[in-house]
Amino acid sequence: MFHALVAIKQVPDTTNIRIDPETGNLVREGVPAIMNPYDAHALAEAVHWKRKLGGKVTVVSMGPPSFIVTIREAIELGADRGILISDRKFAGADTLATSYVLAAVIAEVHAEDPLDLIFFGKQAIDGDTAQVGPGVAVRLDMPIVTYAVKVRDIDLQGRTVVVERKTERWTEVVETPLPTLLTCEKEIAEIPFAPLPDLIRSLRYDPEIWSREEPIEFDSGQIGVRGSPTIVYKMGTPPLPEAGEKVNARELGVGTAVSHALDLAQRSGILSAVLGGE
Amino acid sequence: MNQHERIEFDVVVVGAGLAGSAAAMVMAREGLNVALVERGQKPGGKNYFGGAIYTHAIEEVLPDFMERNPPFERPVTEAGFWFLSQDGLMRATVQGGNLDRSPADAYTTLRASFDLWWAEQAQKEGAFLIPKTTVVDFIREADGQVIGVVTDRPQGEIYAPVVIICEGVNNLLAQKLGLIDRDLEPAHLALAFKQVISLSSETINTRFGLPDSEHGLAVSVLGDVSLGLPGMGFVYTNKTTLSVGLGVMLDTLAEYKLKPYEVLQRYLAHPAIAPLVAGGQLLEYGGHLIPEGGYRDMPRLFTGGAMVAGDAAAMVNALHWEGTNMAIIAGKRAAETALEAHSRGDFSERVMSRYEDRLKDGFILQDLKQYRNFARFLETHPEFMGTYPVFLNDALGNFFSAYGKPKRRLFREILGALTNRRSLPQAAGDIISMGRAVMGW
Repeated sequence: MFHALVAIKQVPDTTNIRIDPETGNLVREGVPAIMNPYDAHALAEAVHWKRKLGGKVTVVSMGPPSFIVTIREAIELGADRGILISDRKFAGADTLATSYVLAAVIAEVHAEDPLDLIFFGKQAIDGDTAQVGPGVAVRLDMPIVTYAVKVRDIDLQGRTVVVERKTERWTEVVETPLPTLLTCEKEIAEIPFAPLPDLIRSLRYDPEIWSREEPIEFDSGQIGVRGSPTIVYKMGTPPLPEAGEKVNARELGVGTAVSHALDLAQRSGILSAVLGGE
Repeated sequence: MNQHERIEFDVVVVGAGLAGSAAAMVMAREGLNVALVERGQKPGGKNYFGGAIYTHAIEEVLPDFMERNPPFERPVTEAGFWFLSQDGLMRATVQGGNLDRSPADAYTTLRASFDLWWAEQAQKEGAFLIPKTTVVDFIREADGQVIGVVTDRPQGEIYAPVVIICEGVNNLLAQKLGLIDRDLEPAHLALAFKQVISLSSETINTRFGLPDSEHGLAVSVLGDVSLGLPGMGFVYTNKTTLSVGLGVMLDTLAEYKLKPYEVLQRYLAHPAIAPLVAGGQLLEYGGHLIPEGGYRDMPRLFTGGAMVAGDAAAMVNALHWEGTNMAIIAGKRAAETALEAHSRGDFSERVMSRYEDRLKDGFILQDLKQYRNFARFLETHPEFMGTYPVFLNDALGNFFSAYGKPKRRLFREILGALTNRRSLPQAAGDIISMGRAVMGW
């Protein structure tokens, strides 16, 4: 039986946000909370393989009780079990503290019911760090494939998985032993429209809530604000790049316009940067 | 849940709007297992209105509503008409009396928050809300008896011996059941569109002459609002926003190829409106259809195992801004009928017809029947939205101006301003037609 775990995060829908021009902080009021899209695609892939191979999918998230709706959404999308790690003492965690907690929870789930694959989104759309997945893999001493775009094959008997990962130029095909941790791009799977029975089950589902002490005890020094060495020095919005010069091909004629544009590109150094000095 | 297990409820309510959540609330309170199916992400997500909501209807479904923190904006303490001429404004509003009591007769409201709260009250009574799911068809017996719905999701059938259809203005399901045999007509649909404009509550109080935020205004704006075409504007004061917009018949917009936002921009730039919204920040812009055909556009209200309520049944009295209250009360009447059907174990057309009997007993069908000619009256007498309001405005303006000429001449001029546009016999005829349309003669 296949057992996958998917780590999910609730994030503000950043397609919809505003930044307070004075404080540089995100205006959270009235911004809908959604499941981090990369996580949702990773979950869809986990559920796809569960349906193919038989087995189950466990989702884990860390956050306040308002994250229950996101766990329910994961159940709607086909997860079987949801765990919310929720305790005031976890609040204020950076990626280091978060990966400590998630690694411990995943190790506990693995001890109860061995895992084959652990899915993360490649990053969260609010913090954009892409650090928690790798942080967890290191703590679990587990192989990791980042920027996964396709799970080609899972061999539960031979204990291997073949994954395609995206690099800047190529697609790499990687075979690694199970269990493996993947951080996923959106291409990994389409998010399906959930069947009605799954939606109904999700609406009635109450996730397990894990606290600092129960069912496993966390080291107070490694969680929450105390376990988070990251200090945000300043937040702000980057200045908008200035508009470039526009060349009107209709007035100048196409030939003149193109050579003028090329000339500009050459003088500013763009051309040699793009062509790599060739 | 087993994939082959049937999903069953005692009742399916289609649409968690005002009618649907009211129906769900009443039935769940009496112990029925109610599925409240909503196509939006959340209840209210698809809904939009002017607007203000009437408490008599809320109270009838939820007597202790004031203790449940309803997301009201302001009580309506001043209501009436504004008449615009090209650059003038004449106000005919009332305050005090029936408008000065607590809880108020009506409260200004934003639907996204109100409908969410309204559905939460249904959930608190035990109704089961199924969001993000659209009902697309029915499960029916060979004899046509409705025994459930089909949704757009895989394995999306929900079985129930009663379905209450509160799908809103676009009554595709009522059509699917054959309760109405024609599509909606653009001539009977108003497209209402508005802006929600943010201003401080102090600014709103000052601009509208309101003593504090516990006073609010709701007005219909007639006259020079929609490029001389039949249309009606509105202004509602919320706590820290204004809802300002107008409704124009859909066929008019189509015929003159008007873009709603252009009509709205012009309305907002009117010399009487612009200072009210000046300096405000635009928060929302949106629109919604209103079924204004009234009684003559109503579908058959029931069939075996199903009933229709709210906008889907064209329950709107355009002249009196009533619709939300009709939806709530009709939802309750449908719920009472479903409860009766369950207690009898009989879901036949005969028992469902008790829904219509209940509506005939109250204001909904009586009013809609009385106003059955009103939509047609406005269609044929656009001057009530344009010419007359402008005339009234000019006439009063002249009446209160000292021109240094004999009053007899002034009155003749005022009358002349009317007879230029409408002859006296025509005007007299218009007034009689109006009376007939309102009284239902």
